[in-house]
Amino acid sequence: MGCSASLPDRNTGRLGVLSSENSGVADSKNLRVKLVLLGDSGVGKSCIVLRFVRGQFDPTSKVTVGASFLSQTIALQDSTTVKFEIWDTAGQERYAALAPLYYRGAAVAVVVYDITSPDSFKKAQYWVKELQKHGSPDIIMALVGNKADLQNNREVPVQDAVEYAEKNGMFFIETSAKTADNINELFEEIAKRLPRVSSS
Amino acid sequence: MDFTSSSSSSLTFTDFLDRMRHPASIDLVRSIKSFIVSFSFHSANSENDSKRLQDFLLAMETTIKDHPLWAGASWEEIDNAIEGLEKYVMTKLFSRTFACSPEDAKSDQEISEKIFLLQHFVRPEHLDIPAVYQNESAWLIAEKELQKINAFKAPREKLLCILNCCRVINNLLLNVSISTNHVPAGADDFLPVLIYITIKASPHCFVRVILNLMQANPPQLHSNLKFIQLFRRQSKVISEAAYYLTNLISVESFINGLDANSLSMDANEFQEKMQAARLAKAAQVAPRNISTSRDPQPVHCNKEIHMGGSYYPFMEAEAGKLTVEDVHKLLSVYKDVVNKYSVLCQAVRGLPLDKEKLPVALRGDLCDSILEHPRADCNPAEQDVVEVEGTKEKEKETFVESTVSSTRHPCCSDEGQKHGFKPTRVMAKIEIATAQ
Repeated sequence: MGCSASLPDRNTGRLGVLSSENSGVADSKNLRVKLVLLGDSGVGKSCIVLRFVRGQFDPTSKVTVGASFLSQTIALQDSTTVKFEIWDTAGQERYAALAPLYYRGAAVAVVVYDITSPDSFKKAQYWVKELQKHGSPDIIMALVGNKADLQNNREVPVQDAVEYAEKNGMFFIETSAKTADNINELFEEIAKRLPRVSSS
Repeated sequence: MDFTSSSSSSLTFTDFLDRMRHPASIDLVRSIKSFIVSFSFHSANSENDSKRLQDFLLAMETTIKDHPLWAGASWEEIDNAIEGLEKYVMTKLFSRTFACSPEDAKSDQEISEKIFLLQHFVRPEHLDIPAVYQNESAWLIAEKELQKINAFKAPREKLLCILNCCRVINNLLLNVSISTNHVPAGADDFLPVLIYITIKASPHCFVRVILNLMQANPPQLHSNLKFIQLFRRQSKVISEAAYYLTNLISVESFINGLDANSLSMDANEFQEKMQAARLAKAAQVAPRNISTSRDPQPVHCNKEIHMGGSYYPFMEAEAGKLTVEDVHKLLSVYKDVVNKYSVLCQAVRGLPLDKEKLPVALRGDLCDSILEHPRADCNPAEQDVVEVEGTKEKEKETFVESTVSSTRHPCCSDEGQKHGFKPTRVMAKIEIATAQ
């Protein structure tokens, strides 16, 4: 849980964040997307989501739910909105067998590792293989190297991750939940890659 | 997704019933009745039954939208009507659709037995739950929310029990994150707590002896989850509700597959503990078989009583032969008994019972609220009785007698107060935890 940030929110350049109210049935203009987060415990999965959903974590904000399920709606330039329903998964090894219950029916899988931990990168590759075998065939996969602010402790070279992502047809980005770097870019890029339902 | 309280749900349901009594709804009533009757023409099959219910609810949604009684009604009003309809129909079809196949009964039995064994020895540390999350009163509330699942027949209300349980856990995690100045925990922290709560929430072994005697239903975790998945309106099993339902489904899966590698515990120790739990279970079978007797027959072995998977030493001990070391053991046995007694009261209160049918030992003050007496979680250091020797020997013996053989409670009475048992009320704790 070491990602609480004291830095100011850098997310002012956001395209536009709408209320995350349940808007009911999705249509061609308003997509509702199930996104599942996979990755070793401690890589900062929930920190990324909190950054995305709340900008900066505000301990006084009245939340009735936990950080394991969060939703956030973003507006894109083509006037469509995308509501991300973000499903966190427990990253500990003993729960690995449960992951299919969570990624079943997911449109997007975000596989997170920690750039200071080669083990977590190996684990990320394991998840990618699992998703290729058992996930929905048209699932959009993103590979995310988190904790990019810890450059001095980097142990996973950017090049390795870029190559791996390319080979597996994934979108790759390095983020820092701590400084909020690339957090919005991650979700905006995913939103752009979502298939659009042709409007009737 | 809102976590609607059950009170507003009953209001909605009353409203639905009122509308159904209106002469203008005669056509709706006919369709509903004929739908329910139509089930008797087919043999029970949960997949088919589910499909038929889901189709019916969708069709009725269209009908109600165009119905004069709902002319100009808002989206919420229509939605409430379908919620009422789901509850009405599923309550009528409950016995046919809930835990209806032998496979379901088998799955319920299997997970129930596994949980029963795990209850004997699994501690939060075995799931690496950090000490900061170990909040007994919050966990108790979460357990109670989950236990309510069997008090309802409607899929929506069963699902709400799960969501409420998860909300309590999330509030706990959130409070901890605020007090420790960390970001709120994600699934890495949530899931282990939910697993532990699920294990603890199943009726305690001691209660199950009694429940079995009274032929009450086992907890039926599997059937509840399946029932919600099949018979809750599909348009409602989305988003947050779907997430938390999936979490409990994954808890079921985790417990079913739980082996020596699943816990932070030495593999040999795990096997030994499981074996010990199995033996304790076998010991429990004895009283269950003598169901003609009104009280479960305790198994005596060398001055100890084995019952419901626990054992109670000192049953034939004499006061004069007790040593100071025994006080610690006595105290822990005493706490164990009081805890079980509390859970038992709770379970019995939730059952539609004829008092006359209760075993003699359970009558009288047993059904009084669990909230009426303090919990036996006082620290030994805080209790005068521990420090006193000799003169109190007699009373120590009385404790064991009274807690094991009858329903008298030293800490319920003035006597208990004198001995320094602090009347920490569970209710007060619950209020504090809720206020947080």
